[in-house]
Amino acid sequence: MRDTQSLFEELFLPHLDDAYNLARWILERDQDAQDVVQEAYVRALKGFKGFRGTNPRAWLLTIVRNTAYSWTRKYPSNVISFDEGVHTAPTEQPLSESFHEERKRQLYEALSRLSVDFREVLLLYEIEGWSYKQIASTLKVPVGTVMSRLSRARRRLQQELARVQETAVKNEL
Amino acid sequence: MNCEETHRLLEETFGTELDASLRLEVEGHLSRCSKCRSVARECLEFRSFFLASAPRYKASPQLRARVLATIRLERAKRGFPRRAQPWLCVAAGLVIALALTLTLLYPDNGKELSGLAVLDHSRSISANHLVDVASGDQHVVKPWFAAKLDFAPPVVDLPSAGFALLGGRVAVIRNRPVAAVVYRHKKGFVTLFCWPVNKDLVSDGDYSIDGYKVRTWSSAECNYIVVSERNGRGLNEFVDLFRDHLQSNPY
Repeated sequence: MRDTQSLFEELFLPHLDDAYNLARWILERDQDAQDVVQEAYVRALKGFKGFRGTNPRAWLLTIVRNTAYSWTRKYPSNVISFDEGVHTAPTEQPLSESFHEERKRQLYEALSRLSVDFREVLLLYEIEGWSYKQIASTLKVPVGTVMSRLSRARRRLQQELARVQETAVKNEL
Repeated sequence: MNCEETHRLLEETFGTELDASLRLEVEGHLSRCSKCRSVARECLEFRSFFLASAPRYKASPQLRARVLATIRLERAKRGFPRRAQPWLCVAAGLVIALALTLTLLYPDNGKELSGLAVLDHSRSISANHLVDVASGDQHVVKPWFAAKLDFAPPVVDLPSAGFALLGGRVAVIRNRPVAAVVYRHKKGFVTLFCWPVNKDLVSDGDYSIDGYKVRTWSSAECNYIVVSERNGRGLNEFVDLFRDHLQSNPY
């Protein structure tokens, strides 16, 4: 017997990792991301009757995104905005850490300094491989906005990474 | 096209996918300017580094269990929007009513459930299929259950008392998937069956079934049945240790 519940689970549980990844990219904190994912699944379940689409993954991720944004409005301190978060104190790393690990850590820090809008387009376009059009319809903005936001995000990321590396070099001296 | 403009374009595209008209201009500039060529190379390198190193977070087994439990609970609470045929709902209703009646008619189900547990325990040994997840680490076994079932049983390791955790499997007792945690004790095995309480509390019991020794009890959260080898050696000791442990480390 294939009831609606098992259909729901079959369609949406396989995308749990993607849902969590998106929430984590937006909110950064593990606990917040977990809470948002849980809430998003409940919302999805409630809205499931209205789901007529062919792409459950995109549908779910849109709900995750909206839930995450309501979350940031409810708890605004959790989101790093455009101007804040630039002056984070560098964390001390053990000397034995490999070069690659160190670069990776720097990348994470640079990403966390970006505004959430920028992180989001980077994730959706570069990592998830969505098209401009898909992103535009999920974000409810024109395609041109997606393209320019992505350009600025890439540029900003490289600038932030350069800054993070500069600080790291200064600390070593 | 000057250096500054080229530099900006390269950064904004990660060095890829310039549109045709700009590409000619940028390529023209790059052929003349070695400094910008190295910037272009850096941008491409950065992109592959970014793609390889950007975080891809995975949901923990705990989150998986939590989400599953929440959506099932939500459905039970609100009545799930149905696409199923009405007769299915009627049939499901009848099944639930029948199950409730049986539970009410036979409130002390300890012995019957113990019989089923003994059957599963002895079968797992004769079929040499003790565990689905073989690990002596409770931090492996517990999340494994959380991912398989809609709950995580308490898993404790009691090596100093001679009960070595072997792992876990999912058993089915009266059509209900339950957690079976398996220990080795001397030359025999002890299986602890556990499932969340759902109105049907198992009473405290002490049975001897087909030569196996069985203890049953329930806490606020879970029902427990422990089955041990034929001579019943160590069963009471195990149950005492297990319950002590749960009391000092609330589940």
